[in-house]
Amino acid sequence: MLNYNSPINETKDFNNLKINEESPVMKLIIRGKKREFISKVGKLLDILLPTESNTSTVGNNISALWLSPDEWMIYSNDKIAKNNNTYPIEENLINNIHKINLGAITDVTDQFIMIKMKGSQIYDLFSNGCPYNFNDFKNKKGAVTQTIINKIDVIIHNRDVDEVNLFVRRSFSSHLWSWLNDGAKRI
Amino acid sequence: MPKNLRINSSNFIDETTRVSFKFDGKTYYGFKGDTLASALIANGIHLVARSFKYHRPRGIMTAGSEEPNAIVQINGNTAYTEPNVRATEIEIYDGLEASSQNCWPNVNFDIGGINNILSPLLPAGFYYKTFMWPASFWEKYEYFIRKSAGLGKSPTKPDPDLYEHKYIHCDVLVIGGGISGIMAAKTAAENNYKTLLLDEKPHLGGTTIYQSSEFNKINNQYSSKWLENEISKLKNIKNLEIKTRTSVAAYHGYNFLLARENLTDHLPLNKKKDKIRQRLLKIRAKKVIAATGSIERPLIFNNNDRPGIILSSAIKKYSDYYGVVCGKENILFTNNDSAYETAISLFNKGIKINAIIDIREKVNSEITNHAEKIGIKIYNSYTIVDTSGYRRIKEVSIMKLSKDGQSVTGSKIKIKCNCLGISGGWTPAVHLFTQSGGKLKFDNEDNVFIPSKYPSDQISIGSCNGEFDLNTIIKNFNQNIKNFLGIDKTSFEDLKINSTKEILKRNIWLLPSDKAIGKCKPFVDFQNDATAKDIKLALREGFRSIEHVKRYTTTGMGTDQGKLGNMHALGIISDTSGVKMSDLGTTTFRPPYTPLTFGTIVGRNVGEFFDIFRKTPMHDWHVDNNAEFENVGQWKRAWYYPKKGESMFDAVQRESKAARDGAGILDASTLGKIDIQGSDASEFLNRVYTNAWSKLAIGKCRYGLMLNEDGMVYDDGVTTRLDENHYIMTTTTGGAATVLGKLEDYLQTEWPELDVYLTSVTDHFATISVCGPNSKKIVKKVIPDLDLSDEEFPHMSFKNAKIDNIKCRVMRISFTGEQSYEINIQANFGKSVWEKCMEAGKEFNITPYGTETMHLLRAEKGFIIVGQDTDATLTPIDLQMDWIVSKKKYDFIGKRSLYRSDTIREDRKQLVGIVTEDPREVLEEGAQIVADVSKKPVEMLGHITSSYFSPNLNKSIALGVVKGGKNMLGKKLFIPMKNKIISVQVADPVFLDKENKRLNA
Repeated sequence: MLNYNSPINETKDFNNLKINEESPVMKLIIRGKKREFISKVGKLLDILLPTESNTSTVGNNISALWLSPDEWMIYSNDKIAKNNNTYPIEENLINNIHKINLGAITDVTDQFIMIKMKGSQIYDLFSNGCPYNFNDFKNKKGAVTQTIINKIDVIIHNRDVDEVNLFVRRSFSSHLWSWLNDGAKRI
Repeated sequence: MPKNLRINSSNFIDETTRVSFKFDGKTYYGFKGDTLASALIANGIHLVARSFKYHRPRGIMTAGSEEPNAIVQINGNTAYTEPNVRATEIEIYDGLEASSQNCWPNVNFDIGGINNILSPLLPAGFYYKTFMWPASFWEKYEYFIRKSAGLGKSPTKPDPDLYEHKYIHCDVLVIGGGISGIMAAKTAAENNYKTLLLDEKPHLGGTTIYQSSEFNKINNQYSSKWLENEISKLKNIKNLEIKTRTSVAAYHGYNFLLARENLTDHLPLNKKKDKIRQRLLKIRAKKVIAATGSIERPLIFNNNDRPGIILSSAIKKYSDYYGVVCGKENILFTNNDSAYETAISLFNKGIKINAIIDIREKVNSEITNHAEKIGIKIYNSYTIVDTSGYRRIKEVSIMKLSKDGQSVTGSKIKIKCNCLGISGGWTPAVHLFTQSGGKLKFDNEDNVFIPSKYPSDQISIGSCNGEFDLNTIIKNFNQNIKNFLGIDKTSFEDLKINSTKEILKRNIWLLPSDKAIGKCKPFVDFQNDATAKDIKLALREGFRSIEHVKRYTTTGMGTDQGKLGNMHALGIISDTSGVKMSDLGTTTFRPPYTPLTFGTIVGRNVGEFFDIFRKTPMHDWHVDNNAEFENVGQWKRAWYYPKKGESMFDAVQRESKAARDGAGILDASTLGKIDIQGSDASEFLNRVYTNAWSKLAIGKCRYGLMLNEDGMVYDDGVTTRLDENHYIMTTTTGGAATVLGKLEDYLQTEWPELDVYLTSVTDHFATISVCGPNSKKIVKKVIPDLDLSDEEFPHMSFKNAKIDNIKCRVMRISFTGEQSYEINIQANFGKSVWEKCMEAGKEFNITPYGTETMHLLRAEKGFIIVGQDTDATLTPIDLQMDWIVSKKKYDFIGKRSLYRSDTIREDRKQLVGIVTEDPREVLEEGAQIVADVSKKPVEMLGHITSSYFSPNLNKSIALGVVKGGKNMLGKKLFIPMKNKIISVQVADPVFLDKENKRLNA
């Protein structure tokens, strides 16, 4: 068996803030321009793809984040198995979307690390290195933003009050994790 | 601490908490809440520093950030040492050690004081004029000049403090927590604006908070009491955030501001540990309200710089706010009513006022009449012509002013004092407003520059807008703030104000003396020792622009940026040259408003956070196996793996031999990987690469060169056709992000008709490259089910595979010239597969190799590295890669440029192989290549781009670009180095296995 090595694999508790890497979580980037693409994906996944910019929808098994007018990230709400990287959802989409040239389906499960953050100090910590204005964002459940934290590209999904999922490219993740920990010690 | 210098209980000083500190090695005591300045004054210390140029004794002159004189070094020779700290700003704490600057051996007896005696020989421009000849001596002069330049000592140890940055977004930012700022913040927040109020002091309230005078009342209360009550209400306003000890440093366009929040400078060293010292706030505000107040001006007269000469408003603050008396024998010298407030306040506390000297004729305002009524001696239409007292003022000499104020008449009167309060009126603090791009106008009545045109959504209120009496401030506030915030009413419209109004004004920028100006020392810029006569000299020498005068005399160039004296410099220029103040303008106010520490600017971007880095999935394995790393883009890449005692050269030679003779393994995860899907994917590749892609079979790989629009090589890499409409492109490590951006840009703007989607998967895959004659056997052991036969899996092809239950992609491609397989597997399994390969390769001496060996191996094969062998000036033809440029394709990026007259020149620099005459001689990369070393000037033909000693060929090999190199095969050229000239020969760039036997073995 191959060993599974996620880059962080830690949970940290701070003053009103808990952060941990959530893995494995399936992540796909799906892209398509046609109206049919959106409706078909909706049917296949039983989820309405968000069409309003910087928003998301959450289904039973997956969440869908709007990334650009023809680009979404979908990720599994629950952890998946470590010993298998064949995902029925991906195969379903490849067969019914990619293969009929309706759009593109790309597995990015390990492209991004998902860091789950909970607590009242999330945005205080972000403000140490993120120029984004979270004033409205933090009150809008489901809001999504693509921004930078400590100069690193991230996607932030507002799951709930004081709860976000933060996606960062794997190669940057240990550096960002270290930065988050450093700042969180003092909040 | 002499008790009799503490005159009353203060609301702002905790007299129950005694604080000990050292100044110039001696221990003193103050109270919690004291600044170093107030504590020193309470201890009777006025001489605190020596001036920069003449080393004249200087004392505390102000009570704020405008302080020019009392700047000290704190914390001695420790890592916490800091120069140029204003004694008026630093709050004392137990253990604070401060010392005077710019004096030796001590502030009381300073050898440099001789400069004061020599001062007639040291006018403005002395250095410029004196040290310009002979020119060759400059380096000798410079040594001594540099030694005496600057104030204080820079720290030599790493800064132990922590700093950080913070982004803040608000609807309304209010700068300044004086009465105007408090009212503005309250009004904004109560009207649902998310409001941030900043003030540089520890307590809100500005000067009003200690204004307990019959002449400043609001609703029949002292204005201090009224304001205290208003401040207490602020705590309950939800929308309002207040930050004290926070000074706005810069105001940029579109309401982007930087502020420094001081968090621990007032705490003892042992309480600062692990806490942020200062924080740089990066503020984006929809609206900005500047309530920055105004700065009292000094008066410019002969010897106006002695210790004990203090701004009148500062004396009032020290007594009313800190409860400290500056002197027991006081004189106030003024041209306005403010000094009368000080005089009355001191008088009411029983402190002796020897006289008020007022340059105005008979004055008749409520407050001046009161001063007269209580028996204070007032000299109207008098000026000070001289002062005396070396380490502290002892006496002033006054004379009657002429009608025009340009000379003095009558006899000299001498009056004793040990403190002289001076007040030359007020200068609105418009620094931040002008930094933001605002335009000023000159108000002739008050002789002040005030805001005129606002460049963004902002407003200036209160005294920074030229409103100086309480009545005007409140009246204008209500009108202006309603318009600015778009509201109908404020809660301050029905206030009953009782304030005194100044009736008579008289301004003389340079006050006359009975001595000629040449014999006087009327200081304008106290920190830089620039006098009025220096300014006049500059004008005589032909300088007209205020910017030129500033640089010639250094007026306004100290750490205080001339906050006190700039207006006087302008006034003296105006008076002397006859140019109106409004036409002169001001010097440019640049950030920061008050000095920032480097730590604040840098924030947490130090140590491991200095720069961001990226790690591959196998990074930890490389660390565990002693790899040295190099930075490639933001990646940390394994560079080489030295064994015990091995140099880099030894390690690379060993790794290279192993890769050719047995097996090598490389972490290639950093290569950019772009997933390309869509029905037009092939057409898209046709347009971005120089070669053709439509006929590439599914399961095959092809190398591509990408050009810029100018025809120059931009990036390269292998792209694989995964299925009919699905490719995976690899890019260079450093080019991954820019290539993706460029391609996405083309898709969105130039070719929107193409059905193509790009997604970066660089981080998704770990890429493990196994090369060498035994690579096939190793991969077979790792993936037993995969048919690796040459027929089934030839060079430049790909297969889907599974390792255990995990899907992966295997490409048979090579960057070394050896038979190679690249396993691309989901990143979280990368380390495990790498270890599997190492285990499988043990019997074949599999050797991990780093980027340096990779570079060597590919150079043996003549493969280019974009960015090393190319520099954005080489076309594929220059690289002798004509074969990759399709002649049949209709178009591709850069095609047209390949046919420009310049790009088809035969004598362009072209990539060639270079071998040395002495095969052991390894050339330096970057070395110049010439044909004739005797020719002057030497004609540079090109340079070496890559150079190594090849263990496999047992000789030195190099690649280089040479003008017309393509036609020089076999030609002898030279590499001129510092100590020798190396003979080389132009060779074929492919040094090893021209027939590709090893690739296909």
